[in-house]
Amino acid sequence: MAIHEPQGNWWQPLSKDEKIWFILALVWMLVSFLYMPIQHFIGVQNPPSESYRVSAEDFEALIEAQEEKYTVGEENGFPVVRPNPDEPVYLKASMWEWTPVLELEKDKTYKIHLSSVDLVHGFSIQPINLNLMVIPGIDYVVNLKPTSSGDFRILCNEFCGLGHHTMVGKINVI
Amino acid sequence: MSEGSEEYSAVQKFYDNIWLLLGIGIVLPTVLFTVWGLYEVYTLPYLPIVK
Repeated sequence: MAIHEPQGNWWQPLSKDEKIWFILALVWMLVSFLYMPIQHFIGVQNPPSESYRVSAEDFEALIEAQEEKYTVGEENGFPVVRPNPDEPVYLKASMWEWTPVLELEKDKTYKIHLSSVDLVHGFSIQPINLNLMVIPGIDYVVNLKPTSSGDFRILCNEFCGLGHHTMVGKINVI
Repeated sequence: MSEGSEEYSAVQKFYDNIWLLLGIGIVLPTVLFTVWGLYEVYTLPYLPIVK
């Protein structure tokens, strides 16, 4: 039971001012609610709607197969991969690195599969500020179309242990 | 609450029913967040692997 229970007939109809505020809040809530599906169609950045389950072993195997097929060089000890835009591209998050370095072509659309092989990491492309979580066991598919060339950093924005701050990957757009 | 034989509105009866409110407060988030979330995770298909 409540400590101080309201007594008697306490329910009263809303006064005029309360009604106005209630209607304003309701209208704004409906606008925000409807904007969510609208944003899905007109927005330029949307959370991935395609995802799968995948084991760390299978994902590692896909990364290795991709490296064997498409490696074009090496940068700071990491393979530089120039993938085919018509095929799925795999990017692995692990403590504390993003593998491989991706070399993408401007204005081509890639399906980037993101997964972690150990724990939760955060995928954040800077300086364009695209953010999403990378969860072990789950593969997120991001449709990415680089619209400007240059070097972009991938930062981890979920704390993932002692080396978290060193977890910086790279995407080269040519 | 139930003073004498005074008749209360349906809204007041609803808000005065603390066990019903507790039940709704537990059931709704459990179903909409936990159960729905687990359902989504467990029905996710496995990655079609192209060898």
